Amino acid sequence: MKLEDAEARVLLARLAGRIPLSSRGRSCHSVMDATKAGKGDQGMQAPGGQMDKPVSFHFLESMLPKVVKRRVHALKRLQVQCANIEAKFYEEVHELERKYAALYQPLFEKRRDIVTGTVEPTDEECEWHSDREEEEELAEEVKEKAAIEDSKKEEATPQEDPKGIPEFWLTIFKSVDMLSDMLQEHDEPILKHLKDIQVKFSEPGQPMSFTLEFHFEPNGYFNNAVLTKVYKMKSEPDTTDPFSFEGPEIIDCEGCQIDWHKGKDVTVKTIKKKQKHKGRGTVRTVTKQVPNDSFFNFFNPIKVSPDGEMDEDCEFTLATDFEIGHFFRERIIPRAVLYFTGEALEDDESFEEEELEEGDEEEQDEDGDDDDDEGDFDPKVSNYFKMFVSACIIDCGSAQDVRVKLFEVNVKFFHLLLSLLE
Amino acid sequence: MADIDNKDQAEMDPADMEDVEDVEEEETGEDENSKARQLTVQMMQNPQILAALQERLDGLNGSPSGYIESLPKVVKRRVNALKNLQVKCAHIEAKFYEEVHELERKYAALYQPLFDKRSEIVKAAYEPTDEECEWKADEEEELTDEMKEKAKLEEEKKDEEKEDPKGIPEFWLTVFKNVDLLSDMLQEHDEPILKHLQDIKVKFSDPGQPMSFTLEFHFEANDFFTNTVLTKTYKMRSEPDESDPFSFDGPEIMCCTGCTIDWTKGKNVTLKTIKKKQKHKGRGTVRTVTKTVPNDSFFNFFTPPEVPENGDLDEDSEAVLAADFEIGHFIRERIVPRAVLYFTGEAIEDDDDDYDEEGEEADDEEGEEEADEENDPDYDPKKDAAPPAECKQQ
Repeated sequence: MKLEDAEARVLLARLAGRIPLSSRGRSCHSVMDATKAGKGDQGMQAPGGQMDKPVSFHFLESMLPKVVKRRVHALKRLQVQCANIEAKFYEEVHELERKYAALYQPLFEKRRDIVTGTVEPTDEECEWHSDREEEEELAEEVKEKAAIEDSKKEEATPQEDPKGIPEFWLTIFKSVDMLSDMLQEHDEPILKHLKDIQVKFSEPGQPMSFTLEFHFEPNGYFNNAVLTKVYKMKSEPDTTDPFSFEGPEIIDCEGCQIDWHKGKDVTVKTIKKKQKHKGRGTVRTVTKQVPNDSFFNFFNPIKVSPDGEMDEDCEFTLATDFEIGHFFRERIIPRAVLYFTGEALEDDESFEEEELEEGDEEEQDEDGDDDDDEGDFDPKVSNYFKMFVSACIIDCGSAQDVRVKLFEVNVKFFHLLLSLLE
Repeated sequence: MADIDNKDQAEMDPADMEDVEDVEEEETGEDENSKARQLTVQMMQNPQILAALQERLDGLNGSPSGYIESLPKVVKRRVNALKNLQVKCAHIEAKFYEEVHELERKYAALYQPLFDKRSEIVKAAYEPTDEECEWKADEEEELTDEMKEKAKLEEEKKDEEKEDPKGIPEFWLTVFKNVDLLSDMLQEHDEPILKHLQDIKVKFSDPGQPMSFTLEFHFEANDFFTNTVLTKTYKMRSEPDESDPFSFDGPEIMCCTGCTIDWTKGKNVTLKTIKKKQKHKGRGTVRTVTKTVPNDSFFNFFTPPEVPENGDLDEDSEAVLAADFEIGHFIRERIVPRAVLYFTGEAIEDDDDDYDEEGEEADDEEGEEEADEENDPDYDPKKDAAPPAECKQQ
């Protein structure tokens, strides 16, 4: 199943084959950039890609007098030296990041303890003044409702005492588009047991990489206490293309083995197939295990082929994976509570909305060219739908999977429609 | 006969497999949703439903979902504790950015010799040796034979004319013309001046000083103004705002200041003179009045709108400033470090994609001002100061 080019381009445009990991630190932001939450203001490129050079510029360059061209070449050599110095700069930034990771660590551990209910914060630690007036007005109504609910709850089930912040990370997954796109219904009960996500950096002197650790409490689905995903990075200019260097890039990733309990592996499903013997005409039923969509496929990513050549779909899937890894590391983990409450979403979402509108100029769906096309209809929603669909089906290996996925998506959307239009 | 029904695929004899074709596949247990699917497809094709849906979605964006407020009190309490931890994180983050900024200062000193060398080659103060000019063509020069022929002819022509261009003529002017963000600011009357631009440098504030950076535009002696350097300073905020700590995302440009240009008489391209005919309402006599009004020019870059004390700016000025900040940032981060790649055009494609913006402001203010002004006694020059830079989409 080929994704439409425009969509692929737009999604790829958000991507991280090469989002410089240190861009957050190194560049200053103009007021306008502040909303482009940490995605870096660097250019984009497919993983391992070369810059495309417009022929017209080369023609112009070659029109320069020989003596001038010569000097331009001298400048280019200087530029290569700059790129090499830049690489060292990024290494030092990375060391700074390591140093600060250690400073954030105690705060993140406290967060984990509060989320899991291991530690109860003091009253002082819980003081918070809300600045946002509209939020407060709306909240007043809801608070009243909640107060009634609360007292009802207390009456009804006095022993119900939620520990920590239940479903903290699951809620974050559901609130953030990039993550909820990966989330299937059958993943949710498992993710309720997710108690923390941490980032660990490679040691100095080791090839640059970072690891995402997903810590789970004991559960009925798998034995692992921690699921890991390692992202490997390249932090030096490519000697054949030194000018495309924009800082460290994710170039590869590795998952981990999940030790599933019997019958609980949500990444596979069983299907029955009827098969007809061509010769004999008899029909038999065969059961097959096929991959199932699940967030937990995140721990079993496509491997980058050794020669660096991959088909477009695989490249695209990987690029999305890299973006997700980057996003966990740069935004979700450092600011988890803001994604839980939704405060961070407005920033990120407004950025995403812009992207959505870029790829806009495509024709409407093949399915029904309605003759009574009633004039002005807002393409945003159907494009959102298309994006959503594209994101959902990138993992699909076959046309059948796509069909299955599409109607799951349709069901979700149907319910969403109903709830919104009520 | 062996019962081959219901066997696991894995157990099947490969020989058997060749003779079979799939008749149909069924999912274990999800049939009832096909009706829902059909309905959804129908609904998604109805423009009115989509419009209603879009409206609702838009309305929801940014509004509190009510989820947090509906949490039990004990949980809400803990969420607030997490928020307090988050504020602490923001402060640590601020220190991180300070240290990154120090690193940037340190590396600026390491790049400087390379940039100085660049400047000397550009302005012909230094002629690089053959070794310093060695450059492998490979992918760059994939020109068609036709183009190669043309280029050769041009070269031969130039050699004949015995031209001996010094350095790299019009280096920075070419960079300006190649980059949309900059060419948008460039007017025709600016070009002869920019031919004299020899270098653009970035200087950082000293440690301990409030964070800022200065762009220095170095000009060779020219007829237009007496300054040798024109400067633009950008001041930054590098700490979380107490009232809104979570919006902190690293150092941000907050305001900027330019410099005074000592124009030679009659050469100030940021001003123009217009003649206005005015009719006396009482007497009916007509007189011609000459007025000096602002003119579009890149050099307005050095007189940016000032942010008043109370921080409130009109919408236009805000837009101008925002564009200005972006330009300052862009010159610092991309142009100065990689100038030659903008000269050759290699860097252009990457950046284009960064700067896609959807809405463009209607740009109908160019030219044709004089006609209006002569006949309009109420003409107000201030309204005509068009925003200097808008990103064009390609």
